[in-house]
Amino acid sequence: MTALRCAALVVLALAGCKQEERAMRLDPPIAEAMDAVALMPDGIGGRPPEVHVAMGNPYRGNAYQISQGKRLYEWFNCRGCHADGGGGSGPALMDGWWRYGPDLVSIYVSIRDGRPNGMPPFRDRLTPEQIWQLTGYIQMMGAYSASAAAPGRNDRMFSRPSENRAPAAAPAPGQP
Amino acid sequence: MTRGRPAEDLRDTALAEVELTHGLARTWQTPSGFWGALATVDHKIIGRRYIATAFVFLALGGVLALLMRWQLARPESRILSPDLYNQVFTIHGTNMMFLFAVPVMEAMAVYLVPLMVGTRNIAVPRLNAFSYWMYLVGGVLLWVAFVLDMGPDVGWFAYVPLAGPQYGAGKRADIWAQMITFTEISALAVAVEIVVTVLKQRAPGMSLDRIPLFVWSMLVTSFIIILAMPAVMVASTSLILDRLVGTHFFNPAEGGDVLLWQHLFWFFGHPEVYIIFLPAVGMISSILPTFTRRPIFGYLPLVLALVGTGILAFGLWVHHMFTTGLPRVGESFFTASSMAIAVPSGIQIFCWLATIWYGRPVLKTPMLFILAFLFTFVIGGLTGVMVASVPLDTQVHDTYFVVAHFHYVLVGGAVFPLLGGVYYWFPKITGRMMSERIGRWVVGLLLAGFNLTFFPMHILGLQGMTRRIYTYQADMGWGGMNLFVSLSSLVLATGFLLFFIDAFRSARHGAPAGDNPWGAATLEWATSSPPPPYNFVRIPVVESASPLWDSPDALPVATGLRMDRRELLVSTVADAVPEARESSPGNSIWPLWAAAATTILLIASIFTPWAVVWGAIPVTIALIGWFWPKGTPEDES
Repeated sequence: MTALRCAALVVLALAGCKQEERAMRLDPPIAEAMDAVALMPDGIGGRPPEVHVAMGNPYRGNAYQISQGKRLYEWFNCRGCHADGGGGSGPALMDGWWRYGPDLVSIYVSIRDGRPNGMPPFRDRLTPEQIWQLTGYIQMMGAYSASAAAPGRNDRMFSRPSENRAPAAAPAPGQP
Repeated sequence: MTRGRPAEDLRDTALAEVELTHGLARTWQTPSGFWGALATVDHKIIGRRYIATAFVFLALGGVLALLMRWQLARPESRILSPDLYNQVFTIHGTNMMFLFAVPVMEAMAVYLVPLMVGTRNIAVPRLNAFSYWMYLVGGVLLWVAFVLDMGPDVGWFAYVPLAGPQYGAGKRADIWAQMITFTEISALAVAVEIVVTVLKQRAPGMSLDRIPLFVWSMLVTSFIIILAMPAVMVASTSLILDRLVGTHFFNPAEGGDVLLWQHLFWFFGHPEVYIIFLPAVGMISSILPTFTRRPIFGYLPLVLALVGTGILAFGLWVHHMFTTGLPRVGESFFTASSMAIAVPSGIQIFCWLATIWYGRPVLKTPMLFILAFLFTFVIGGLTGVMVASVPLDTQVHDTYFVVAHFHYVLVGGAVFPLLGGVYYWFPKITGRMMSERIGRWVVGLLLAGFNLTFFPMHILGLQGMTRRIYTYQADMGWGGMNLFVSLSSLVLATGFLLFFIDAFRSARHGAPAGDNPWGAATLEWATSSPPPPYNFVRIPVVESASPLWDSPDALPVATGLRMDRRELLVSTVADAVPEARESSPGNSIWPLWAAAATTILLIASIFTPWAVVWGAIPVTIALIGWFWPKGTPEDES
């Protein structure tokens, strides 16, 4: 009974740690290795860096990292083209339709290297860690299922339900 | 199905003493065993649990304080990471305010008020059981979250926008807000019980001017709780709604208001200070006559000071917000009202000094704690008058000066009297005395340790050290003083450790105490130590403000209560003239189930708003079970 309770507590602890842990600063070697994505020749899809896997994919399920991504989304004016995810001069990010595939590596490479027809590269403006934070946030915007790690609304005018009012992505009318 | 009135007369008038005590014990007892312990509604058992739990939280919060002092002992220390430090100071403050200070005062009242007013159980006793479970769950929620590295990190008053949806990532602030809900529910429940107990269940003859001052202070405190706590519940619920559902209570861009949070919080938060302080001064006013061997000096001014403080408490919350850019008129008004609070506090101080002056002081441990209180609290009160003035407050806002000030007021003003109260009432609660020799050491270590720890913080604050920083650079020149403070905190911690050791040891091996070891005058000392489940064999009749001194041989008693069901005496509000015999609910497991159902609802609503809809179903079922007639004699009207 006691052992069972302890085990349950440990499992809970591990789950809690992952979602709420806050790593303020990465070790420099890890930060460097974060950029080592293996990309498919067509530039779509690939393998995330090994260190990313070893850390347990922190940028997709960790509330703090996602909220950092959300701040970067504001600070680097992603809204200028993509609006609040609904799309403007750039494509929508929350309709579940991805031009270059929905996986993390594709989104990462899109931000880092840019894409044809207007997406600028951000490799000189953001560190790999920041690009990963942004990637995690953007993938979450277009996810079909809810996440307890999703952030709430911002303190400004509102054009869409906040991210934690999931599911965020319902295929927009007219989209395949 | 209810049993009819039995043929033989089972009222206490018709029965012999032995038969009566056995019958009463059978009627009022708590069945032994696990389920009996969970189902009890005895105010003494629940009060003991409350007190013990609150002191566990005090010890845990103290460990956090030591961690912070370890981190701050030298510049650029790396004991705690910045993130962990944020959690530690938030949980220290939240824990001490919501899980220790308020509940422990209410806990003392849950135990003592029914005894002091001479009744058999607290009013609405099942709600009392429910309130304990809610309190326990709220505390466990906070600490489990901390262990899981998702403890709140937004400060104990959780200002938006830092705690709001944009900047408070994860579920940390939600856990803080929901912990507030748990403790507020429990505090409100206890407040209602105490108001009813004091107003309607006093022993015959205990008119308003004969109520012990601790009871008066708890009555005022309970009214403050009932008026103040809803504000913070509105605030924390709005915060959760903002964070989870995306409402805009605190979003200026959509017509909300950030300052609204501060107003709602401090409209509760300042009366909160008096919710903690008034019971403490009530304890002093109740303990002091015993150790000066005379009735309290100035009973009426003391009562009026309590009531006056209670009213003024609602007129000065804005002094926490002087640096938010308020209109000048507002600042001046709240400066004046903040300084006005010194008047009732001063009246009380002078009444106590006069009591000591005209009495023959007996320097036992509880009395020493009162002297320690007088010394420490006056310093805290003086810095309080200082920070009440806007120009000075603007300088020292959010510095260690304020940290020093509120520790002086809260530890000096509330914890010292509380510990004195524990030493004083420990024999009543356990039937054994605490050690007088260790008690003197405890007072000495606490008084010295406290002043050495917190007085230098005034200077650190004036030197510009801001609160809530996790470290500082060596060239700020704060290192030496901080090291001194950290070392002194060990003295303070030793005092508390010694107190806990003494309490544990004395509960088992202390010298047996009689019914009235201190020779006190109030009704709780008229029964045995510890009191039987029914408190008094016969309800005492009160003929003066110091009944045990004025009727030293035997108190007159009221008779006519039934023995075969839980029955107590209801009396009028002002003069305590007996009005009716009223049944008191028996033991029930349903408060526990209701608390469990409410827990599920509240914790799940951190994650999804639908929890409020579906969680309401088990809560409803539990409440139906709670109020369903069980066919016991207590169901008869």
